[in-house]
Amino acid sequence: MSQLERQELRPSLRDESAPTDGIVVVRGGPTSLAKVVSHAQRTHDAFVLDGEPIWGISVFCALDDLGGASLDSLLHRFASYRVVHLPRVSQLRQAGFDLLPTFGRPHYTVTLSGPDQADALLAALGKAEPNPYHERRPGRR
Amino acid sequence: MSGDQEGGRPVITVDITCDLMDEDETGYVWTFLHEARDPGLIEPGAIVVAGDEDAPAVAEVIDIVEKPAGRIVHLRVLPGVIEDYVALITRAANSAS
Repeated sequence: MSQLERQELRPSLRDESAPTDGIVVVRGGPTSLAKVVSHAQRTHDAFVLDGEPIWGISVFCALDDLGGASLDSLLHRFASYRVVHLPRVSQLRQAGFDLLPTFGRPHYTVTLSGPDQADALLAALGKAEPNPYHERRPGRR
Repeated sequence: MSGDQEGGRPVITVDITCDLMDEDETGYVWTFLHEARDPGLIEPGAIVVAGDEDAPAVAEVIDIVEKPAGRIVHLRVLPGVIEDYVALITRAANSAS
């Protein structure tokens, strides 16, 4: 597939400040090396950035204390994930990964140079933790 | 859904594989139509199981659009977790019998 056959991502980047190091990143889990590669491949197959290939996976950042971009709201929104990875932005940056503010706030794309960086991203995401909203469901008996 | 259990959880067969966190400019989850187990199941309005075996979700197919890279399916993930829908159907079926 040529790069011309993919959608340009640049128009979908939000014009906003980069998230600060202390912001919590939400990534549904459990994540494996195969999943990181698979998800990054899907992004690669669909998009380019400034005409160049891009590899990346989607995450959401808990940018606010309240509302749809709060950690609580994101965990609720992604209740389908029984576990979640909750690294800080600093952990991803220190491992060499950038976060692009793509599409609707607070969605970001964590970019990789290629599939060979998948294991480093997996390590940077850290251990998965239970998502309290997966089990805590009203009306289920 | 099969009757097999994995770690106490039912094993789910998804209709269309996707990353439930992949959203695009529409605000919906997107994936390629070729990720569907049976593409014939995927049509606007259809209720499907999307995601993967670790994180399945009930979703509505919103549309299928032609994009430069191929046919993209947009999905609206329905509230709750898949076990809620299993419990709902079980409860409704038991009530009717």
